[in-house]
Amino acid sequence: MRNLSLRVLDDAAAAGAVRAEPSLTRSRLLQHAFVGGGAVVAGGVLLGGLPALAPAARSKEQDVRILNLVLLLEELKAAFYAAAEAGGALRGELAEFARIVGEHERAHVAYLRKALGDQAEAKPSFDFGNTTGDRDRFAATAAMLEDTAVAGYNGQAANLTKPVLKAAATIVSVEARHAAWIRDMVGQPAAPDATDKPATDRQVQQAIARTGFVTR
Amino acid sequence: MTPELPSGLDLTLDQLDRDGALREAAARLPRTRFLAAAAGAAAAFGVLASPARAAVSRGDVAILNYALSLEYLQAAFYTETERVGAITGKAARATRVVGAVERAHVDAFRKLLGVQAVKQPSFDFRGTTEDQLAFLKTAVAFEDLAVAAYKGQAHLIEADAVLAAAVAIHSVEARHAAWMRHLFGIRPAAQAFDEAKPKAEILKTVRSTRFVAARTRTKGGGAPRFTG
Repeated sequence: MRNLSLRVLDDAAAAGAVRAEPSLTRSRLLQHAFVGGGAVVAGGVLLGGLPALAPAARSKEQDVRILNLVLLLEELKAAFYAAAEAGGALRGELAEFARIVGEHERAHVAYLRKALGDQAEAKPSFDFGNTTGDRDRFAATAAMLEDTAVAGYNGQAANLTKPVLKAAATIVSVEARHAAWIRDMVGQPAAPDATDKPATDRQVQQAIARTGFVTR
Repeated sequence: MTPELPSGLDLTLDQLDRDGALREAAARLPRTRFLAAAAGAAAAFGVLASPARAAVSRGDVAILNYALSLEYLQAAFYTETERVGAITGKAARATRVVGAVERAHVDAFRKLLGVQAVKQPSFDFRGTTEDQLAFLKTAVAFEDLAVAAYKGQAHLIEADAVLAAAVAIHSVEARHAAWMRHLFGIRPAAQAFDEAKPKAEILKTVRSTRFVAARTRTKGGGAPRFTG
């Protein structure tokens, strides 16, 4: 089943398409990245993902696996915003967005690392290509990453033990706020659907792999 | 950071006609979008409708009714705002889109709860649907409140299908909150972690708005004291 947030990822292929095709125009780029925002939403797709959430038995071991997955997402985003800030190509509200959201992602990384203790996986290396050096590529990539994080956290809700779910819930809505913020800033639907579709762990891993950002 | 809810003017408005409101929304929204929103909500709970409904525990029913109450409040607020037509610009578009989504949430919860669904109360939004600034301030407060409310319930939900639906709506409320904040000109994501709020605190806040109108009652069959 094709899930909308992954369709966004496919089309943006953030790194791939964006990097390989430097002539991609602003409107095309945004069109690609935000294809999920409009009429493509079909009734069946909207909540099609929900039944897939049938959880494996909750356990501490499973919590660790899931927290390491979302840690990777948070590391990726923290590094992305840090690279964008360091690159200095952003101005105005986009620069503010990168700075504020970067702070949040670093706080999430620290929180998850603390929770995982010595079970936290090592931070990988990243290469964001030219996606942080240009406002349109930055915005499209940021929106894709934030939407993926929302789908990733939502997809794991039923798999987490209750105390960890409680903690994760304080993070996922902040990711959703980031997603809406960047989308509204570039004139895309901030909240295109009545519900946010979840992504499975495998879908999240595939989405991350597809960006080509993790070089390890 | 959450702005205080305005106490507003005294203005009594007719009780909402939900069916009429939906027809109106359907007429104004792009057809595909509206149908998608409606179908999506139905599908979310369609999952639950037959086999799982019987399995929904008493605790989950209470949580669903609590969520339904908050969605009634939000849906009525945006529907009335759209009807009054005083809000302009980007906020008007946001009103239409968010309103349609909140109505879809209402429909979905009602469908899921069936006869166990609480009834919609009457609302009196005290002028906040007629003024751009008061509207945005109230919208921000409502959306932030909804985020905190859903967050406070997630770990208490027993059925996984109910949890899946609740988290899928929770993050949409957060998107709405960020969107309304952006329109209002305040930071869409004020802090790195969003705090949950317990039900009692949420209900206290809702009561403090006096938006939920006391039901008009006619008691007894005696002759009126004053007949004009």
